[in-house]
Amino acid sequence: MSDLALDVVQQALNGFLFGSSYALIGIGFTMIFGVMEKLNLAFGITALGGAYAALLVFQLTRAPFPLVVLASVAAAGLIGLVVEITCFRWMPGDYPLAALMATVGMLFFVEEVIVHATNGVPRAFPAPLGQAMFDLGPWLLRGDLAFMFLVCLAVMVALWLLVFRTRLGLATRAVSQQPVAAQLCGIGLRRVNAAVFVLTGMVGGVAGALIGSAVGNLSPLLALPLTVKGLVTAVLGGLGSIPGAIVGGLLLGVVEYEALYFFGIGYRDMVTYLLLFAFLVFRPGGLFGSAARR
Amino acid sequence: MDFYVSLLTLFGFRILLGLSAYVVILTGQISLAQAGFYALGAYSAGAATALWGWPIVPAILLGAVVGGFFGFLVGFPALRVRGLFLVIATLAFTEIVRMVFLNLKYTIRVGDRTIGPAAGEGFRGITYYFEHGWSGLHILGFTWLFVAAVLLGLWLMDRSRAGAVLRAVGEDELAASSVGINLTAAKVSAMTLGGFVAGMAGALYAHYASYVSQEDFGVLLATFAIAYALVGGTGSVLGPVAGVLFFSLLIDGLRFLGDWRNLLFGVLIVAMMNLRPHGLVDAGLVRRLVGLRRRASAGA
Amino acid sequence: MKRTAMVVLSILFVLAPLVAAMTWEPAWAQDRVIKIAGVGAMSGVVRTFGVNAKATLDMATDEINAAGGIKLKDGSRAKIVTTYVDERCNAEEGISVIRKLASEDWLVSIGPTCSNVAEPLFGILQRKAGDAGDSGLQFPIFTDTAIKPGLAKISEWSFRNVPHEPTMYNHLFKWLKEKNPDAKTVMIGVESDFAHSNANAGIMEAAAKAAGFEVLGQEKWLLNDTEFSTQVGKFRRAKPDIIGIAAHPFTTCGALREMKRQGVKPKVMVGLTSSATLETMVGCGPEAEGMIIPTGFAPVTPEAKRVAKTVAERYKGNVDLHSAAVYENIQVLKMVIESSGVEGKPTTVASDRRKVRDGLAQVKEFNGLLGKVQRTEDRESTKPYVFAQARNSDWAVLFDPR
Repeated sequence: MSDLALDVVQQALNGFLFGSSYALIGIGFTMIFGVMEKLNLAFGITALGGAYAALLVFQLTRAPFPLVVLASVAAAGLIGLVVEITCFRWMPGDYPLAALMATVGMLFFVEEVIVHATNGVPRAFPAPLGQAMFDLGPWLLRGDLAFMFLVCLAVMVALWLLVFRTRLGLATRAVSQQPVAAQLCGIGLRRVNAAVFVLTGMVGGVAGALIGSAVGNLSPLLALPLTVKGLVTAVLGGLGSIPGAIVGGLLLGVVEYEALYFFGIGYRDMVTYLLLFAFLVFRPGGLFGSAARR
Repeated sequence: MDFYVSLLTLFGFRILLGLSAYVVILTGQISLAQAGFYALGAYSAGAATALWGWPIVPAILLGAVVGGFFGFLVGFPALRVRGLFLVIATLAFTEIVRMVFLNLKYTIRVGDRTIGPAAGEGFRGITYYFEHGWSGLHILGFTWLFVAAVLLGLWLMDRSRAGAVLRAVGEDELAASSVGINLTAAKVSAMTLGGFVAGMAGALYAHYASYVSQEDFGVLLATFAIAYALVGGTGSVLGPVAGVLFFSLLIDGLRFLGDWRNLLFGVLIVAMMNLRPHGLVDAGLVRRLVGLRRRASAGA
Repeated sequence: MKRTAMVVLSILFVLAPLVAAMTWEPAWAQDRVIKIAGVGAMSGVVRTFGVNAKATLDMATDEINAAGGIKLKDGSRAKIVTTYVDERCNAEEGISVIRKLASEDWLVSIGPTCSNVAEPLFGILQRKAGDAGDSGLQFPIFTDTAIKPGLAKISEWSFRNVPHEPTMYNHLFKWLKEKNPDAKTVMIGVESDFAHSNANAGIMEAAAKAAGFEVLGQEKWLLNDTEFSTQVGKFRRAKPDIIGIAAHPFTTCGALREMKRQGVKPKVMVGLTSSATLETMVGCGPEAEGMIIPTGFAPVTPEAKRVAKTVAERYKGNVDLHSAAVYENIQVLKMVIESSGVEGKPTTVASDRRKVRDGLAQVKEFNGLLGKVQRTEDRESTKPYVFAQARNSDWAVLFDPR
């Protein structure tokens, strides 16, 4: 195989694998928007906050990695609840812009807390799979990103089971389809909202911990990319569709990496955004959303 | 004294930026593209005076026109997307503009200096004000001439049919189109106008700072643009003014808190949105103030 | 309920600026004071620079004040009063902050931290001192950290005490060629959207070529990138003998981890000056093992050791190549103020600033913590330096050319 062909495939593989991180964070965004039709710009920082909390736990206890992930999940779930209370609970339902702005405020706040606690210095994050590399013929695959891809699938299955096989999931679907009727059936709107935020926060915690481990360092610099990439992924996949978020994230990764290879770093993001822009204009509903969706 | 002069000048750019977001929000479109228009205005006006020797007023107008032109271009594809999708699409636009400037290199030598957009290094040498001996007060006055003109123009527009049309489109598109309002014309005009005002703001900023670089024109600036309009309220043109005052007081007024200022920043935004979700100057407040005035004049 | 909240908020908004105005500048009417301001980044990812600079500023001024303060020309003694203001690594904020300081009675400012702030900041200063037609600010700025080369030329009111990267890297690569005669090729990785790193990559490339190396190319990424497999993949294929990484700790660590992952092991690794700090060691000490960086500060002289120890123990800051300059700047300013007739009265602010500027312009050489620092024609400095190497998650001195 020629060098060019080898490289193109390697880039696609790299992009596919790294896209798993976009997918994981996109799942959270898409769930919040899809289920609750609310835009939570503080989701990226919720995931990052969970990771930082987990790092603190690790530094104090030297716990094994699964416990670190658990700590991240718990912390992010808590942050998710705080976001729900401060940014959504008392906001007017017919004016989502107010909640949007409030989440921007939360984003600034949590980021500042992180900056104050760490002085902005990047901190090493435990990465047990950090050096795992597999050979696939002439190509290299990163083990930790492959693991992240598997986790995406597992999260998707877990969320599917939750939404379609549990009472909470039933309540969530009812609230998202017909909030008034759902209340009339005795479903507590506030409790369901809070539960969804905690749940998506927990998904964010998984994302934060795994991304932190893949990057190797946590830094406040991660806040903006997590937010922007997560949003883009959710939009690409079709808001509300979890399989869409996964496919969207992987697609975004592949596009980015091929753009980097062919156009260089100065144009990588430009090409990616141009394609995104074009995609949105021609298929505004996203990959798995309906074409005429709002 | 000089400091307050420069602070008021900064208010000018921010108010224009907020107004540009406000015009677009009136039609129900949340646009993160204002930072991109701002950047385009800054670079084109800067190039006009620093590279091509234009006088200042045509240069500022050039910046505004360039902003408006791109606003027009963005307005059409924006019709096809709504809500969050529009947010992402306009974000993509701002980032694309930023990256264009990250790569653009066009420098000339003027005397002993190299000036012009220099890709990652930024665009230095936009020193029109200083070369012509303008004092801080001159710069302030000049900037606010434009700000006052835009404020007046938008206020008049708000009171005219055009303003009602824009707000109608923002409230309920179906109802608006059913009374014969051309949705396309309304939304694209709003985006064009927003681009024009943002381009003007960028042009004025570039001359104030004498140096601009792509990192100043990213997502954060775009977020502040809509923040001024959302926190300030979209009830009237004074909304973005109130929004700018709120944020500026926060940044500068709380400076004595030192480190804690940044923490309080986010908290106060959350608090403000909880207390006044429709912004400081929302439609309700405007109606009440107008009602008060009417009652006062009726009483007298 | 909502109405009262509105009222309370409005009162707060009226009060805040009033309180700010009252508490910002205490009115020292009686004693003579010399007011020196510090400007730096206390926010975001560069917060650590500002924290360290402020700690060093406090230490240096406390030390001088404890010894009696500055002796003015008329024999009276004046205490140094300082403030440290956050420029948030943002041009607009930096300009605002300097204008505020200039409108008050601060004589001179140390800072800023960020090169992207320094550039516009110097741009709003008067270009030629005494030019009546130039309405730029007449306020001297003496930089400690912003290191992008060539900035002081912008104005005669700006002075910089930052290491001269071309000198250091030229020497480093020549030295590397001597020590590694079988090393022939060099590749560079750079975070291309950070002004300083970009400039540094160019310097590394020029230095490598001048020393007789073949530069195979530059691999680029952005300052908040998190994945480097493409760029490191090119390193892996080209197998350069020396890899230079012109990036700050976050992406340097990311690139180093990827290099380890892909088994890229060059003979020598070279880094960016600003990464020769504690940050890199905290972020990726093990991966950075062996990296060589030329730096303007290391605790290799008794004075350097003393300052580093005092700032760490009593002021909770870290002295590195950036914050060390703050200490040196304060010593220089003391010397300049004592010899140039600065009066330190509230009525003489403008003339005092001019005296400080003229005094600084006349300084040709001063004592730095590592040895004598020379002033160059365009108000930059040539500082003594050492080559530091990362060993066991700490920086050790590899070669001391002084």
